[in-house]
Amino acid sequence: MSTILSTNSLCRHFGGVRAVNDVTIAIRDKSVKAVIGPNGAGKTTLFNTITGRLPATAGTVVFDGRDITNSPVHERVKLGICRTFQINSLFLGATVFENVRIAKQTRMGKSLKIFSKRDSLADVNEATFEILEKVGLGGKASELANTLSYGDQRSLEVAIALAGDPKILLLDEPTAGMSQLETNNIIRLIQKLVKEIAVVLVEHDVDMVLSISDSISVMHQGSIIGEGTPDEICKNQRVREAYLGDENGH
Amino acid sequence: MIQICLNCLLLSALLLLISIGLNIIYGISRVVNLAHGSLYALGAYFGYSMVSYGVNFYAALLLAPLLAGLCGVVLERLIIEPIRHRDMTYTLILTYGLSVFIDGMFKFIWSDKVQFIQMPSSLRGTLNLFGVHYPNYRLFVLAATVCVILGLLALLEKTKLGMIMRAASTIPEMVSALGVNMKLVHMGVFGLGCVLAGIGGVIAGPLLSVYPMMGSEMLLSCFVVLVIGGLGSLRGAILASLLVGTAQTLGFVFLTDFAMVIVYLMMAVILLFMPKGLLAEGKFD
Amino acid sequence: MEKAIGNKKDRKGLVIQALVLLALVLLPFVLGNKFYLRLVTEIIIYGLLAMSLDVLLGFTGLLSFMHAAYMGIGAYTVAVFLSYVDPGASIWVTFPLGIAVTVVLAFAAGWLQVRTGGFAFALLTVAFGMMYYTLVWKARSITCGDDGLCGLPKPDISLGPIVLGNMNDSLTAYFFTLAVVAVCFFVTRRIMHSPFGAVLESIRENTERASFIGINVRNYKLMGWMLACTLAGISGVLFTYMKGSVSPTLMDARAGGIVLMMTLLGGMGTLWGAFIGAAAYIFLQDFISAMTENWMVFLGLAVILLTLFMPKGLADLPIRLGQRLTRQRSNL
Repeated sequence: MSTILSTNSLCRHFGGVRAVNDVTIAIRDKSVKAVIGPNGAGKTTLFNTITGRLPATAGTVVFDGRDITNSPVHERVKLGICRTFQINSLFLGATVFENVRIAKQTRMGKSLKIFSKRDSLADVNEATFEILEKVGLGGKASELANTLSYGDQRSLEVAIALAGDPKILLLDEPTAGMSQLETNNIIRLIQKLVKEIAVVLVEHDVDMVLSISDSISVMHQGSIIGEGTPDEICKNQRVREAYLGDENGH
Repeated sequence: MIQICLNCLLLSALLLLISIGLNIIYGISRVVNLAHGSLYALGAYFGYSMVSYGVNFYAALLLAPLLAGLCGVVLERLIIEPIRHRDMTYTLILTYGLSVFIDGMFKFIWSDKVQFIQMPSSLRGTLNLFGVHYPNYRLFVLAATVCVILGLLALLEKTKLGMIMRAASTIPEMVSALGVNMKLVHMGVFGLGCVLAGIGGVIAGPLLSVYPMMGSEMLLSCFVVLVIGGLGSLRGAILASLLVGTAQTLGFVFLTDFAMVIVYLMMAVILLFMPKGLLAEGKFD
Repeated sequence: MEKAIGNKKDRKGLVIQALVLLALVLLPFVLGNKFYLRLVTEIIIYGLLAMSLDVLLGFTGLLSFMHAAYMGIGAYTVAVFLSYVDPGASIWVTFPLGIAVTVVLAFAAGWLQVRTGGFAFALLTVAFGMMYYTLVWKARSITCGDDGLCGLPKPDISLGPIVLGNMNDSLTAYFFTLAVVAVCFFVTRRIMHSPFGAVLESIRENTERASFIGINVRNYKLMGWMLACTLAGISGVLFTYMKGSVSPTLMDARAGGIVLMMTLLGGMGTLWGAFIGAAAYIFLQDFISAMTENWMVFLGLAVILLTLFMPKGLADLPIRLGQRLTRQRSNL
């Protein structure tokens, strides 16, 4: 399988703090890659640097053979790099449907139609409902985003990202705060998605990570300290000391 | 030449006194106070009234800013606190309304005549500096500003209060979890900013005139300072007030009418290349 | 599915707005007094200006403290052209010219402004607004400084060779203004209900998320800004046509505050609210300035109270009333 996105000695420093330090990872197409590590290991910063929320201090990000290290956020999204946020980032005053429709409409290039009604674009509406059904929000389309339960809001996060037709989807702790039922839905969704696209996860739920990932990278203090299949990671001594060791110790 | 340089420094000092208060309020409470200029003017008017009723100038320099600070605390509690949770646009609009209101009240109470604070007799006269006669009072203003700024830095760096304030600017949740009443911190910070503006007002009174729109006119330059220097950055504010003070003074000397146009253009150009200001501490919006 | 897409409500609003327009067309035949007709004309012009700020503030979430500057630019462009170039110039020359100059100057400011957001954006509007104001005010040899330009010839309203009337006639002035503003209103309304309007709203709601769904935020902010300034420029052109005079107070900082006040008073994000705001403000100002010279105090107080207690403005009242009526009907 080919590599869809890779970073090359990527660094992101805040003053003297090396939040992401010399990280080189490759994400294969149609696979699930998990990035795990203790709190403050730099996982979210890595996501932010890959998706353009933060500029890289050094190193490169390559997507599909193209250097995107300095591309603005919206261009990365256009290429197919979509993400969710650890802290929900929604259009809270709008309905569930509108949240996804705006993303879909942007993706389909219909945003400059200044004289048609925003709700009259049949193809956009249809595609929006398809996505809502996929994440299980079909029945809540007309509810306001800020009245949803936390779990539903997390699902809406994913739906908005999916509306961008991602080639690679980066999920920042997608199941944090979700019930077991909701978590299972997300797992099923990821397993379905990965037949078509690459998925990258930041996750604390180790069981989940081990069960669905094809490859795992372990971060500690800004650096990658181990990489491999779930089995290899479980056996990796350094990883056990730095990360799993911590957990067993408590 | 020396005279022009000193005048540049003088305006810079005034700008710094006012904008540093704005900066602290923004840095800690995330409130952009568009009424700050009016509180500067309020300090000047308090000073004017006290001095014209025979209060000693130095006493007025102490009392008037404290009064302005008190007004600031009350205003913070009454109208800014209730909308703290709302979008920043609302605070901007609200404090804008507040400045219009206060400026209007000046006309109501003190009339819109242009007035001056009586200079203390001990500071009249001039000093011979390298062959140039420079007014004593202006030198006093420079010295006083340096003292106030040093005092402020000491307060922020060395005292427990300063520590709480600095901590509150980065992790307010943590500070309030430690049992510090954030409402009090916000009120205190706002008051402190107003005291600084008040000092600026009294000190400027004998130099520049006292009139209702003085604050709003000053405020524009102060915001330029704030934006150029970088929101929340104290060192940036010092650097930027020197820049703006110099540009504005030179502008008035060489361009008269279009002096402010130069200042605005400078801000536009700097923002074009450094959207977060010269020394931003990454807290911009 | 129909319910989620929901476009029924929109049609009802359109009907009501069309009825209000009809009432405005009939107004001069009810209102005998010429003074009041001029006042209503002025309200409609300022309503357009306030509406243009609503596009920026209520839809895109960007604050401009000096929006009146762009009205002033449109007004001064026409005034200067009429005074120095061709006093008899047709509206088909001066109208596009006024818009064109506004658009060029607004683009210069906007291009830089959209690189920022929030507070820095608002501050840059002040910087550029004050800059344009100072240039107009201090260029005494052309603009006559504080005195402004007075006694300008009022243009004929013509459609090709047919002359419909002259702006000197208050009835012509009223109908011309109403026609232009109505077109602007319904076009803007359509644009705000389009997918483009949805993009502007998404930027207001959550700028960061908007860029992460692939929106080029800077470009769209610039487009919103240009739309708002073009409309402001149109209001300026109309102003010169109607008044036959311009002065720097049209575009100073206080004027900027007044527009903001009208938009707030009316209620943001509705477009039509701006007209209610303009009407309320102009009537109030007439009323208060008859009693006291110090109306600044009341303006400031009104802004404070409105932000604290009625952030949605006067437009919220009919909306709430409408909701209550619908609820009652569904209960029956």
